[in-house]
Amino acid sequence: MPKVTILNYELYSALGHTKETIAAIKSGKTGSTFKEVQSLTSYVKTPYFAFAQAIPQVPESIEALLLDMVSKLIVSLSTEERASTVLIIGTSIVDWHLVDAINDTLYEDEKKPYSSQKRSIDSYAQNLAKYFGLNDFTMTINTACTSSANAVLEASNLISSGLYAHAIVLGLELFSPIMSSGFYAMDLIAKEKIRPFDRQRDGLVLGEALGGMVLSKRASPWMLEGGFSNCDSETITSVSQSGEECLFVMNEALKASLLQPNEITAVKAHATGSYSNDIAEMNALSNLFSDSLTFTALKPYIGHTIGASGVTEMVLLMQAIDDGFIPKTLNCEEAIFEAYQPLSSHQPCQGGTFMCNYFGFGGNNTSLIIRKEIR
Amino acid sequence: MKLYIQNFSTYRSDRDEVNIKATLKKEYHLETRRQSEFIHLAVYGGQLLKDKISIDPSDALYMTSANGDIDVVQRSNTYVNKEKQAIKLFDFINLLGNTSSYYVAKSLGIHGKNIFQISNHFTYIHTLISLYSSLYHSQTNAILCAVDLAPNPEEIAQRVLGIEENTSLVSSVNYQKFSLQSKDAMAVLEFDTRSYTLEEMKTILASNRAKVHGSIRCKALLDNDETSFFETMPSAVLNEAMKQSNDIIYIDCYDEKYKILKLKNLR
Repeated sequence: MPKVTILNYELYSALGHTKETIAAIKSGKTGSTFKEVQSLTSYVKTPYFAFAQAIPQVPESIEALLLDMVSKLIVSLSTEERASTVLIIGTSIVDWHLVDAINDTLYEDEKKPYSSQKRSIDSYAQNLAKYFGLNDFTMTINTACTSSANAVLEASNLISSGLYAHAIVLGLELFSPIMSSGFYAMDLIAKEKIRPFDRQRDGLVLGEALGGMVLSKRASPWMLEGGFSNCDSETITSVSQSGEECLFVMNEALKASLLQPNEITAVKAHATGSYSNDIAEMNALSNLFSDSLTFTALKPYIGHTIGASGVTEMVLLMQAIDDGFIPKTLNCEEAIFEAYQPLSSHQPCQGGTFMCNYFGFGGNNTSLIIRKEIR
Repeated sequence: MKLYIQNFSTYRSDRDEVNIKATLKKEYHLETRRQSEFIHLAVYGGQLLKDKISIDPSDALYMTSANGDIDVVQRSNTYVNKEKQAIKLFDFINLLGNTSSYYVAKSLGIHGKNIFQISNHFTYIHTLISLYSSLYHSQTNAILCAVDLAPNPEEIAQRVLGIEENTSLVSSVNYQKFSLQSKDAMAVLEFDTRSYTLEEMKTILASNRAKVHGSIRCKALLDNDETSFFETMPSAVLNEAMKQSNDIIYIDCYDEKYKILKLKNLR
């Protein structure tokens, strides 16, 4: 796959904006708080990585949040370049336009008049494209935890095939009572904290985040070397514990990038902290890499940001390396495999080649490889 | 850009009377439990395609829709936001867009790329562009599933589709299997990334000989007496043209921008 560069990137997480997030990580802070989630019989308090300032769940607030992000990203593109820039969002959030229409139809005594404007989850992308004078090609990808990772791959294809010159890719996830209730109903939420690859891990902790990046062919220190995405799992909710599906995707990502496993500087694992996901990924990693592998998990800092995790965790990793380190993995006291220990302290790093893994619900598995030249 | 169509399948609720769930169970011996009506519709269309052409496990699957599974959003909203109950487990799973594409992939035996995507405007055409760029790199084949389920009540979808209140909605699923290679193709589809103005479209259509079809949004160019609607209609119109061996042009419009698809039969 012809190489695509990453010109610019930004993050807004439970720890703040990009620089604030990195500063918090350096000082050992995490953004975890609590949210009340509907259980079978009552509300229960569950750990959650929420934005410092709550975002009201109405389209106008979501649009304002996205507008602020794109304003920061777009400075790397000239006015002329915007016309050949596409916008792709990866998210798993429920379409709030749809909830409005449901409420108007079923619950409101005084219904709002019909709109002549079509609306969908992609309306956000379309409105942003129009506002910033971007190309009219927009799309919103919903493939659960791999949504924005797949958005990066799709954007990369659109650029390297010569159809468009640049792409803005956003990963968005906001607190959703419906999604949180669903994860709780599946008994997937940790009692207190996320413990990636730890023998005592008891589940994931959800979080909200917005990440964005600009992809291009213009020269940049960061490059998307390649990646691979497929749909293959044992059940609709998880891959097999042997990790064979994860191994296949990681191998294909290496092939697409013309790389060997020993050329990978470090792996950013998906590492949700759930029992089955972590054992599957660990089995796959130990099959592909030697036990000298450097790997880490970023979810203990900002939570599992579901559809946003593809972009947000990649941005977090890139900014940390730009700041000279790979973040350590929090809360892993006794690793699943003794020989494979995730980073226990921040590791100095100026660049290299990094694999970013995402394995999600619905069988979608994605592995991306990025590189920063060490100069 | 050119994409070759190896085969297609089509179903419209206003033209075909089928008990989809029963057919999936009895004729195709597929598990239907824990799946929503939206998933059943998508899987059914996939089986109709599989009846006509072999599917390779490495084929990519792209799925698109106007709004996905509105009924499951409605149920989830009622449980959690209105009745203050926990969401039902399988409603939660079915709420995720890629759950439907997972079931389609599974029923077709596909393990390749699987993307569920929505574009607010040019829903079908943007998916084609995305699919083309993917095939450009992978050199595999790809299946496109365009699916819309009229929700109950229809008013929910009517409120978000930007259509008039008296427009009736149709449930429909349409598939095409695409390749970059012309071998064994039954038709070729030409399209590009650019949008055209109304004046440019008039010039293009003036020199065109093929029959022109278009969405109900192209009122400035076409007299369209269609009273029913579904967002992924271009996919159904192309399939109908292939069925009749007709060469056609399909135009869609949004915000005074036009896009064009040219279908030419090869058999």
